Amino acid sequence: MARAATTSDVFNAIAEPRRREILALLRAGERPVTELADALGMTQPGASKHLRVLREVGLVRDRREGKQRLYGLDARGLRAVHEWTGGFEQFWNASFDRLDAYVQDMKQERQEG
Amino acid sequence: MDSTRPETSSRADTADREIVISRVIDAPRELVFEAFTDVRHLSQWWGPAGFTTTTRAFEFRVGGVWDFVMRGPDGTDYSEWITWTELVPPERIAMLHGEYRDDPNAFESVLTFAADGAATRIEMLTVFPTRELRDEAIEKHGAIEAGQQTLGNLAAYVAETRAGRRRS
Repeated sequence: MARAATTSDVFNAIAEPRRREILALLRAGERPVTELADALGMTQPGASKHLRVLREVGLVRDRREGKQRLYGLDARGLRAVHEWTGGFEQFWNASFDRLDAYVQDMKQERQEG
Repeated sequence: MDSTRPETSSRADTADREIVISRVIDAPRELVFEAFTDVRHLSQWWGPAGFTTTTRAFEFRVGGVWDFVMRGPDGTDYSEWITWTELVPPERIAMLHGEYRDDPNAFESVLTFAADGAATRIEMLTVFPTRELRDEAIEKHGAIEAGQQTLGNLAAYVAETRAGRRRS
């Protein structure tokens, strides 16, 4: 299980720039591996390897259509990323919530005092 | 997002490595600014609900340092190290934010305080040295914030309720 760290963690998976490029390409819709490989200037086995990692962490799903296999974004895996990437803003918005409450207390004290 | 909309505050060269967060607070600018100037105030609101800060050193001046430990509700400690790079009361505070002195991954935040009638608009522009560091900070704060979302929402709710009650 040498690859467990990469394949079980969404964030390790998207730390790789080429995999982020694949996700960006898939935003436009489902595509077969051959098209993805072309767009990325990669070999097909190279693109397949990245797609396998993305699929294992739940960021990409695939389905068979006729003779070819189509890859698309997996909304479930992306939800975790979306929540996670909101972290910095959430941290500060939560801090500013407390700041707001604190400043209201300051204001009231000054008015009373 | 309408890309043809004029963006006066956005600078294209740093757009992919910055984060802007803004908030309007119903209080005069001097008062809001003051809440950023003293550890007595800062320790009351820094971090989401349930977070506490323990200050090792605090000196509010350009070149001064706030060296502290932030503790999350689950008991995890986060080392924080802030130094102020520009202070223009009550308009602007620029600070370098890292985990320790000379942290190579430290990032700069510029807080501007603008009077908006009787209220104050705070804008926090954080520019990271690289896009990778921005993404890392997002992930780190995401990690801090993970599991705290409920608390964060509760805090927002409590703050709103308190503010609403005060206004009515």
